[in-house]
Amino acid sequence: MNRADFPSLGFGVGLRRPHYTHILESKSVMDWFEVISENFMVDGGRPLEVLEGVRNRYPIVLHGVSLSIGSADPLDREYLSKLAALARRFEPAWISDHLCWTGVGGRNAHDLLPLPYTDEAVRHVASRVCQVQEMLGRRVLLENVSSYLTFQHSTLAEWEFLTAVAEESDCGILLDINNIFVSAFNHNFDAERYLEGVPVERVAQFHLAGYSDRGTYLLDTHDHPVSEPVWALYEKAVRRFGPIATLVEWDDHIPDFATLAGVADEARRRAASCGLIESRREAIGDGA
Amino acid sequence: MAPDLKSVQSLLYRLIVAPSGVTEGLREESDLSADGLGTIVRGDNRLSAIERLDIYAEMYFYRLLDCLKEDYPATVAVVGATNFHNLITGYLLAYPPSHPSVLFAGRYLANFLDSHPLREQWPFIADLARLERALIEVFHAADAPALSSEELRAIAPADWPMLELKTHPALQLLPTQWNVVNVAHAVEGGSDWEPPDRSSSQVLVWRKDCRCYYREIGGLELDLIRAITGGASVAALCERVAAVSLSEDPTGAFLELLERWLADSILIIPASA
Repeated sequence: MNRADFPSLGFGVGLRRPHYTHILESKSVMDWFEVISENFMVDGGRPLEVLEGVRNRYPIVLHGVSLSIGSADPLDREYLSKLAALARRFEPAWISDHLCWTGVGGRNAHDLLPLPYTDEAVRHVASRVCQVQEMLGRRVLLENVSSYLTFQHSTLAEWEFLTAVAEESDCGILLDINNIFVSAFNHNFDAERYLEGVPVERVAQFHLAGYSDRGTYLLDTHDHPVSEPVWALYEKAVRRFGPIATLVEWDDHIPDFATLAGVADEARRRAASCGLIESRREAIGDGA
Repeated sequence: MAPDLKSVQSLLYRLIVAPSGVTEGLREESDLSADGLGTIVRGDNRLSAIERLDIYAEMYFYRLLDCLKEDYPATVAVVGATNFHNLITGYLLAYPPSHPSVLFAGRYLANFLDSHPLREQWPFIADLARLERALIEVFHAADAPALSSEELRAIAPADWPMLELKTHPALQLLPTQWNVVNVAHAVEGGSDWEPPDRSSSQVLVWRKDCRCYYREIGGLELDLIRAITGGASVAALCERVAAVSLSEDPTGAFLELLERWLADSILIIPASA
């Protein structure tokens, strides 16, 4: 994988409905936006009009939630052709989805369900990633998910599984720092060891988000500010992986845009504190 | 021997969507060994295997419930939150989501309501849900440039008789048994809704400037919209107007409707224009 295929876009946020008008009516408000692919796989209307307006002014990334790359079901060819058409129309900087399964037997649970970390699963997922990349004509990024259960028959650590899939399929990695923190708490592993176990050259994007503390476990709710321990882990990640594109997700109890932009600015400040910041224009322009 | 991926995923899926939770769902799993879920999912002193899977089961239901509440605000307003919760429990069993987009999760709710006990108290509820679903479909339907008055006037008079007007691809004509338009408008406007009258009617649902609108239509307008969607020429439309219009000025009545359709952006530029 050539990391230059995934230029550092700077600091962005997820494009969400409450902010559409503000983003379209304001001058430069963000380095880039990430959009949920499935929300725009429609025939027409407001979503596509908004995306057109945003894309005319900002780089975007398509981030899917229903690729179901780990499912035992066959790949959904219709879904993939719609994704490919969306990508042709809006030319995203890249396309990403999650290392998980979302359904089986033709059903969709609309959740990011965990896989057993086995060699069998590595082979299964990697071969499907290769098919997806072939269909889309580009490398994709796969994101680590938050999880609440692990399997008795897993033989690999999560980061070993993620790395093995990425190496075998030659795809990139979207490292969700909050998800690492949440899963580390839920499964009692060392989050820093996770970072150290992932190859630097594969990681092309970070995600940041907030979680909810449910006492016996942490839930990845995307409805809180980024917590201090996650910020600390982010700084460690920036030192290891460099100043790659960073994206703040906030999906429930969505604050006003200024608050959300403030979190992206905080990410910029934290990255700068690591001595690795790039300005927005440089980040977009140099493609490195 | 490690279980294969398909059998593990199928089991977890069945347990996640089990309506009374993972513990109840496990009772239906006769093939599972005596050790139960713990042979597949790791538990620990913080959370058992069942509790861990229950986290997913809860998220499955509440995520979809929240989405459907957003999709069906008037239906929720009429039946109340508790009834809606129970409705969705049954609905997801009958129609588990299969589409990659959650936008489609509620597409069969009106059909489900057609034979649901909630109709005893609210006999119009399926019609209302059908209208709300139509609004979602119209909102996301294909785009097409609307026909303007200027563009219509630019068409040579000689071409008018054979001209075939076209309705916007997003437009829907929805048959209803109850006047649910008033209920939907009341809920949308934040006011109290009144029980609707029973009267077979057609609701026109359309999109203008990315916003959705709806109103009941009947009589001449309904007749003409149906004729237009059936490919009738302007000459044929005029003949229908002359035949069925009660107005003393059928041409004026037609032009009045035409002006309204143009203002509402429900016509698009005909291919022959």
